[in-house]
Amino acid sequence: MKVLVKYITRKTSGGTAVREENFDSEVVAFGRATTCDVELPDSRVLLQHAQIVRRSESLYIEALAGETVSVNGHLVKTRRIHEGDELRIGPYVIILETPETQAEITLSVEMTAPQDDELASLLARSKLRTDEVGISKRQLSWMMFVAVLAAILIIPMVATWFSGSGRIDISAMDRSALTHAPTTLWNTGELSSSHRFFGNSCEVCHVQPFVPVQDGTCTSCHPKISHHADPHMFAFASFGDTACQSCHKEHQGKESIARDDQAFCADCHQDLSSHAAETTLLNVTDFALDHPGFRPSVAKNVAAHVMDRKLAMSDTPTPTENSGLIFNHEDHVRADGVEHPEKGNIQLECSNCHVSDDGGVSMLPISFESHCHDCHALRFDTQFPDREMVHGDPLAVFSQISDVYEAVAMRGGYQEPEAPAILRRRPNTTLTAPEKEAAQNWALSKTQEVMNGRFGRGICEECHKVVDDSSSPVWRVEPVYIATQWFPKATFTHKKHNSVDCGTCHAAKTSISSADVLMPTIETCRSCHGGEYATDLVPSTCVDCHRFHQIGLELMQQNSSSAPSLEAAAPEDGQ
Amino acid sequence: MAHESILIYRKFRYLKWALLLVAISSVLYIAHAPVGSPNGGTWLGYTLGTISAGLMVWLAWFGIRKRSYKGSSGRLEDWLSAHVYLGLALLIVATLHSGFQFGWNIHTLLYALMMGVALSGAVGLYFYSRFPRLLSQNRGGLSAEVMLSQIADLDRDIRTLAMTLDDQTNNVVYESIKNTRIGNDFLRQLSGTDPQCPTSAARHYVERAGGQGLSTARRDLLARLVKKEGLLRRLRRDIQLRLGLQVWLYVHVPLTFAMLAALIAHVVTVFYYW
Repeated sequence: MKVLVKYITRKTSGGTAVREENFDSEVVAFGRATTCDVELPDSRVLLQHAQIVRRSESLYIEALAGETVSVNGHLVKTRRIHEGDELRIGPYVIILETPETQAEITLSVEMTAPQDDELASLLARSKLRTDEVGISKRQLSWMMFVAVLAAILIIPMVATWFSGSGRIDISAMDRSALTHAPTTLWNTGELSSSHRFFGNSCEVCHVQPFVPVQDGTCTSCHPKISHHADPHMFAFASFGDTACQSCHKEHQGKESIARDDQAFCADCHQDLSSHAAETTLLNVTDFALDHPGFRPSVAKNVAAHVMDRKLAMSDTPTPTENSGLIFNHEDHVRADGVEHPEKGNIQLECSNCHVSDDGGVSMLPISFESHCHDCHALRFDTQFPDREMVHGDPLAVFSQISDVYEAVAMRGGYQEPEAPAILRRRPNTTLTAPEKEAAQNWALSKTQEVMNGRFGRGICEECHKVVDDSSSPVWRVEPVYIATQWFPKATFTHKKHNSVDCGTCHAAKTSISSADVLMPTIETCRSCHGGEYATDLVPSTCVDCHRFHQIGLELMQQNSSSAPSLEAAAPEDGQ
Repeated sequence: MAHESILIYRKFRYLKWALLLVAISSVLYIAHAPVGSPNGGTWLGYTLGTISAGLMVWLAWFGIRKRSYKGSSGRLEDWLSAHVYLGLALLIVATLHSGFQFGWNIHTLLYALMMGVALSGAVGLYFYSRFPRLLSQNRGGLSAEVMLSQIADLDRDIRTLAMTLDDQTNNVVYESIKNTRIGNDFLRQLSGTDPQCPTSAARHYVERAGGQGLSTARRDLLARLVKKEGLLRRLRRDIQLRLGLQVWLYVHVPLTFAMLAALIAHVVTVFYYW
C-alpha cells in the first residue's frame, strides 16, 4: 500500500508549508515513536497510538492500547474510513484525502493545537506575586474599623437612645426602677460597694449624655450632706463650687468612695492660717507626730451658755469645768464602798451611772431620778418619810412643802416635840379663828425654816450652787450643764473600746472636784493609736475620729440649685 | 533601607525622644497623688490619654505618609525610625494613662488592640531584620525570573525526554509539567512548600519505575526533574519570604483600623458617661 503523507505547517504570515513523505507499508502506524510511519511528536500522543489497515479493499482506523481516535468528531475504537474523513489523534488533525498520483492513500497531517510556551504556561498557572492572594488589606481594614465601631459604640448608643429611660429616680431605693443599660461594656470600672446597688443602670447618675455628673444628682439621694466649713465664713473650705465628684471618685472598684487618707486633710490643715487667717483651728498633719492636744469644750458660764475650749488636757493648768454641779467622783467609786440607805455598803461601778447608748457611740445623759435618787432621796421631814421634794424647781418645792405643813396645821397631830401645842393637839379638833391663824403662821414659818435649813437648801447645796434671789420668794439653784460631748468636733465610739478599763482613760478614782475634766490627754490615745503610716500602732487617719461634712452646718444641697432637681423629675404621686 | 539603619538612625535620635517621653510620663505618674487610685480621669490621666491618642493617630498616619517616598515633612527614614520608637513609647504612656486598671470593657479592648498592633509591628520589624538576608541567600545570585526561565527550559527538555519513554512515564511527566504550580493560594505562599507538588510525584515515579538500572534517557530525565524540584523549592521559599515581608501588615494594618475605631469609641463613651 503506497502512502503519501503531507505534513502541513501553517506559517504566521498566513501561508502553509507542506512536506511530503512517501512510503510503502501494509499498515500505516501513528504514534509518538520515531518508528511509526507517521510520527506525531507530542506528549499528548501515545508511542503507538493508532493505525490504518486495509481489509477487503476498505480502510479502517484502529486505536491501539485501549485508546480512542476521533473520527469526524466521534470517539471510536475502530471504524471504517472513507475519503474526506477527519481523524484526530491528540493535537493532530489527519484528513484522508483523495489519493494522488501513484499513492493509494493520501493523508494530510496538521498540528492544530501546539504546546503552550513552557514559561508562559508556568506563569499562567502560578501566583508569584504576594499581593495576588485575593485579600485586600484596605478592605479588611475598613471592615474591621466599621465592625468594631458598630459593635462597641454605635449599636449600644442607638440602643440607649431607643430605650430612652432618661433620669432614673431611685431615691426611694426601689430596685424596680433600675434598668439594664445596653452600655455595660462602656463601664470603666466597678462601682463602689454602696453604689453597686444600681447594677447596670448608668442613668441613675449619668443623667445627661456628655454632661458630667452633677452635684444635684448626688444630693437628691444624699440631701443631708452638710458643708465642711461655714460657707459664709470660710468660702474656700465650703467647696461650694467643687463637684462632689472631685473628691468622691466612682468606678474605682469595690472600696468606699469616701476618702480616708490623712494627706487629703493635711493638704489644707498643715497650714490652715494661710488659707483662712481668722481660723481658730490648729494645724495638724499626723495623729502621732503632729496633732494638737485634746481641747475639751468646757462650760465657763452655764447660764449664758458660754463654752470654752482654749486649754488642752495636757496643758498646765488643766482645763476646768464650771458645770454648776458639785460632785466628787472619788467619794462615789472609793474602794471601801459607799453606804446605800437600804442595801448598806455597796461598791459603785462607773457603769452604774455611765451607760452608753444603744449604738455604743456616746453615753446616755445622767439624771437625778435615774442615777442619784436611789441614795439621795429628797426627804425634808422625818415626820413625813414618804414625802420627797420634787427635783429641779425650788418654787414647786416651796409650794409642795407649804402644802404639807398647812395641811398638818389644819389637821393637828404633828409629833415634833418643839412644835407648838396647837400643832400637837388631837387630830381633827376644831380650831377657833385665832388658833387657826396661829397654826397658819406656824405652817408658813415652818415651811421657810425647812426651805432654808439643812433639809431644804442644805440638801440642794450638797450638789448645787444655791443663791439668794430677791425677785423670788425662795432662793434659786444655779443652772447646771453636764457635758454630753466634750469634743464636739470628734467622734468616739465607746463600744470599740470596751475591752479597756474606764480608768485607763478617765481618772475618776482620784477626782475630788467637779471642776476636773476627766477626759484623757492625746498621749493616752497615742499609746495605742498612731498616724496613717504607723507600723507598730493602730494606723489611724483623720476620718477615724473626725467627719469631713460637719453636722450642723448648712447643707451642701442649698448651693447646688442649678443642678437638676429630683423633685421636678419625680412623678407627683411618688408611688 | 536596611533594618539596622532604621534602629540606629541619626544616632538613636528617636529612641532618645521616646525615652524622654517615657521618663517624663513615668516621673509625673509616680509623683502624682490623685484622689482615689490613678486613672484616666485625673488631670495627668487626661494628659497622658491625649498624648496617647495623638500618638496613635500619628503612628497610623505613617501608613499614608509612607506611600510617597519624598514627602514634604521629613525623610521617610525619619518617619519609620520615629514610628518604631514612639510606637514602643506609646505602650508605656497608654499603660500609665490606664493606671493599670483593666476589665472586661471596651477600654481594655482598645488597650488589647493597641498591644496587638505593637506586637504585629514588632514581628514585622523582626521579619525586616531577617528576611532580606534569607532572600538573597535563597536566591543564590539568581533572580526569580532566571529561575522561572530555567524551569521553563527544563520543562521543555523533560517533555521531549519523556516522549521517548513509555506512555505511563510520559503521561506522569507530562501531567507534572502541566500541573506544577508555584504559590497557588495564600496558604501555599505562606507555607513555602507544596506537599502535593506533581513534579516531586513525577520524580518519585521515575525513580521507582527505574528499578536498579536506568536507561540514559531516564537518567537524563531524572536529573532534570531533580533540578527542577530544587528550583521550585527555592522559588516557593522566595515567595514565602517576600510574603513574610508583607504578611504581618495584614495583621498590623487591619488591627490599626480596629484600634482607631476603638479609640473613637473610648473617647466618645468616657465623655458620654462623663
